[in-house]
Amino acid sequence: MVNEHGQLYTIEGVAAALIMLFSAYLVLGATSVYTPGDTHISDMQLEQLGTDALRMMNTPVNGSSSTSPLQDILYYNGVQGQFDGTGFNTLFLNYVNNQTGSKIDNAPNGLHYNATVSYYNIANKTTGTLPLSTNRNLTGGEHPVRVTEWVIVNKTFPGGGGTDFKPRAVLVEVLLWRD
Amino acid sequence: MTDDAGNLSIDFLAGFTIFLIAFIYIATLIPGLFIGLQSRTVDYDAVAYRTGVILVEDPGMPYNPAWETLADSHKGDMLRFGLAVSKDSPNILSSQKVDRFFCRTWSYPDDYRSRVIFGDYPYLFNISFQQAGSNLTRSIGDNPPDEYGYIRRVVKVKGNSNASIDDSKIRAYMFNSSDNVTTDVFSIHLNFTNLLGDEPDPAYQINPYNDQIMVNISGMNVSVVNKSLGAEAQHTTLEAIQICRSKPISTNPHPPVVCFANFTSPIVDNKQVDLPYPIEDNLSLIIPPGFITTDLADANTQLYFNLTFNHYDTDNVTLFPENGYLNNTGSGPFEYTYDPKNITLPKLQDGVLEVSVW
Repeated sequence: MVNEHGQLYTIEGVAAALIMLFSAYLVLGATSVYTPGDTHISDMQLEQLGTDALRMMNTPVNGSSSTSPLQDILYYNGVQGQFDGTGFNTLFLNYVNNQTGSKIDNAPNGLHYNATVSYYNIANKTTGTLPLSTNRNLTGGEHPVRVTEWVIVNKTFPGGGGTDFKPRAVLVEVLLWRD
Repeated sequence: MTDDAGNLSIDFLAGFTIFLIAFIYIATLIPGLFIGLQSRTVDYDAVAYRTGVILVEDPGMPYNPAWETLADSHKGDMLRFGLAVSKDSPNILSSQKVDRFFCRTWSYPDDYRSRVIFGDYPYLFNISFQQAGSNLTRSIGDNPPDEYGYIRRVVKVKGNSNASIDDSKIRAYMFNSSDNVTTDVFSIHLNFTNLLGDEPDPAYQINPYNDQIMVNISGMNVSVVNKSLGAEAQHTTLEAIQICRSKPISTNPHPPVVCFANFTSPIVDNKQVDLPYPIEDNLSLIIPPGFITTDLADANTQLYFNLTFNHYDTDNVTLFPENGYLNNTGSGPFEYTYDPKNITLPKLQDGVLEVSVW
């Protein structure tokens, strides 16, 4: 005897299957998910920009120049523990805000930074850090990228060394972020 | 009695067939479905980054002779555009490469896509460059749409060296003849050992193979003797430029200088001219990048460009003797070296390069 147990109701089943498939297709196709992995793109762009800026600041303008602008900023007439922060601020923002087709403006991209100089304290055998310049203080909510550049400076740093004017290698470290 | 147990119904067969067809169809669509899950700009940003690296950190291919010195007829030999002076000096661009890259002889996008963008996908792009202190933005490509990949690179552009010789230098170096002569010769010396060895950093090096060599001379006849007594020639021509060289080898470190060719169409006063060429009081001579090849001069060669000047009377035919004109036959050649007293060294200028890909 024929009964209907275990049978599909054809029209309803097919219709439901098609609707489900079509819905799944629409949902998957229409969604553009900003995955956590994508955040590295803007970080990469900012990191590249900062690295380029520091590298260019540490490049002398011609072969007869013995020092780069960044070396002059750190040397600052040999004053111990201090640097030309104003000079760094102007030059660094000029580089990172420079764009084609427009004049240099110091805040079109909402870029902020905090720069420090790290050195080796020979007396204490520790690493010391001195402030260089900043255009906004870090509050803890930012997501900065870190860019660095090794610079040779003919200057004395805290903890001695360099008094005989032997050049010192110090690390300029910049935390860079956008609003 | 007929038993129906174990039979499939037509309904089930129809449903299962549709399901299988749909399943296979969807399975083939799965790779395409998940494209939407990827951020659209991921690939574009990666391509923009790669393009930026190629342009800013790579000198291009071929390197020697450099791609920017090849004529348009040799487009097929240019494999990769790169603007860096050398692979050892990232972010330092060559002004010659930049000029060649943005020249209008290339067609967008095909010529650029195969040499700097790469990839199978037909990307569109915009590459723009601006030098500090200039309002001129040089760019190729269309305006970017709303979504595109992007990278910005901060660079420096290596300028050209040049020598400026004025009348005070001519007299100080005794670059003027003391005899009454109808032909004066002024020699410019390129010491390759010195030019390539004394400055190893390609960012500051004067590289005669890839860089422009420029000599500006002014006041060439200021020191001509007895002008008021009519002892000055009415016409002077740059008659010829001889190319001479001395190539030391281990067995003969000081071989004689041999003149072996003529520079027949030099760039004088910023235009290519045929010799003889009439000269007034000033002269600007350019030896363009790519003119000197490794066949012409290797790294140990002493290369000389001997400029010959003829003086003529008013009829422009009869040679006219003159005393005191530019001539360094007796004092020795002008040394094109890193001495800042002789030449202006190459200077680096700030610039910015942006790449957008979509």
